[in-house]
Amino acid sequence: MPTTQQYLDEIREIVADSLEIEPDEMTETSSFVDDHDGDSLRAIEILARLEKRYGIEIPQAELPKMGNLRAVYDVVAERAGWNS
Amino acid sequence: MRRRVVITGLGPVSSIGTGVDAFADGLAKGMSGISPISSFDASGFPYRMAGEVPGFAPDELVHRLKIEEWGRSSLFAAAAGRLAVEDAGLDPEQLAGTSAGSCIGTTAGEASAIERLTEHEVESGFESWRAELATQVPSSRLAAAVNRELGLTGEAVTISTACSASNYALGYAYAAIASGDADHMIAGGAEGVYRWAHAGFYRLGAMAERHCSPFDRDREGMLTGEGGAALFLESLDSAERRGARVYAEVLGYGINCDAGHMVAPDSASIAECMRLAHKSAGITADQVDYICAHGTGTPANDAAETLAVREVFGDTPPPISSVKSMLGHTMGAASGFGAIACALGIARGFIPPTINFRTLDPDMPGIDPVPNEARPARLRVVQNNGFAFGGNNAITILGEVA
Repeated sequence: MPTTQQYLDEIREIVADSLEIEPDEMTETSSFVDDHDGDSLRAIEILARLEKRYGIEIPQAELPKMGNLRAVYDVVAERAGWNS
Repeated sequence: MRRRVVITGLGPVSSIGTGVDAFADGLAKGMSGISPISSFDASGFPYRMAGEVPGFAPDELVHRLKIEEWGRSSLFAAAAGRLAVEDAGLDPEQLAGTSAGSCIGTTAGEASAIERLTEHEVESGFESWRAELATQVPSSRLAAAVNRELGLTGEAVTISTACSASNYALGYAYAAIASGDADHMIAGGAEGVYRWAHAGFYRLGAMAERHCSPFDRDREGMLTGEGGAALFLESLDSAERRGARVYAEVLGYGINCDAGHMVAPDSASIAECMRLAHKSAGITADQVDYICAHGTGTPANDAAETLAVREVFGDTPPPISSVKSMLGHTMGAASGFGAIACALGIARGFIPPTINFRTLDPDMPGIDPVPNEARPARLRVVQNNGFAFGGNNAITILGEVA
């Protein structure tokens, strides 16, 4: 099973691609909206790509929580059962 | 001297009825046109309802076009245009000899042709594209279909400002006749229920599972819908000369574009559009007897729209109902169906209801959504709202001929 760091890097790639930035511009806590010009449509794109990649369903109610890389990882990890 | 412009023919091809009487009956009874999707395989989607036109048979409605050469949206446009001319009681041969054209609004154009081409490419590569399908793709064919079907030689303009496009088209046609550029115009819009819109709006979180409940506290969102909506326009002089039945006068229209956000409506810009429309029509807000809402049933639209209404009309605005509760959101045809509903409301003295309504949203004080049952009313002046992606707002004002 991949490590947390591997998952984080993979998610970073997906999010950076959606936000049209380089992966290394993003830290675990930099804000998609305030630091990377994200908006609600980008957020939906990120959500859709994560759902596809990991075969999970993320309710849209989770979107407001998913404001940075670490937070996205936490939501995906919970849905995908990576911590159990 | 600007000519006065009137609506003398209506051509609805809709999920609640095709032709004026069936459509008016559907509005007056508060019928729902929502059913399980059959025009594409929706089995992979969590939500599977839409407002499809049941048993749409273009060969029964369209006389000249070769059906196999045209896409579903174009056929909706041509069928609606043909119906509007028949309803206007004008000899089609005679009409073709006048300065006459069409202006048709759309969101997706012929999306089903694009979807099918894409399927072919994915399955068997680019070489499997069929030329006759590719030729159906250009959206400009929607208005061309109307002109071709009716033999019109004037302008054939397709306007692709999405969910408010029919109001742009009606405004354009009104201006063409008012200024003397044309003598007869068919204005409206056409749209099919297509997979892209279903997928897109579902993914945006804007879609309801089963019912569209505009202005309701518990509204979930919109449902997609389809059909063709056409209005036949001529000058008041022309209508009087030939003794035509007049449904309503087009008093004016307002358009603006804030380009603030792709999907989030801006109530200040919507309010400004209402003021532009009132000014164009030479009326004041207190003269408006009814507002035919954009009313998609999404939390965001209905909140922004009613906020704008209260800003312009004050604490006790006129009744505001949404025919999308019955039809779903017919996209490029939506404000065309709204305009037909307004014209029928004026001519036949009723306000169409907002169906599926249970509980007024406490965040919308003073809003009267005409819940669930049509209401008899004399309508002198009505306002027809249409708002689209990117803040493309278009509002038309219709009135009794005074």
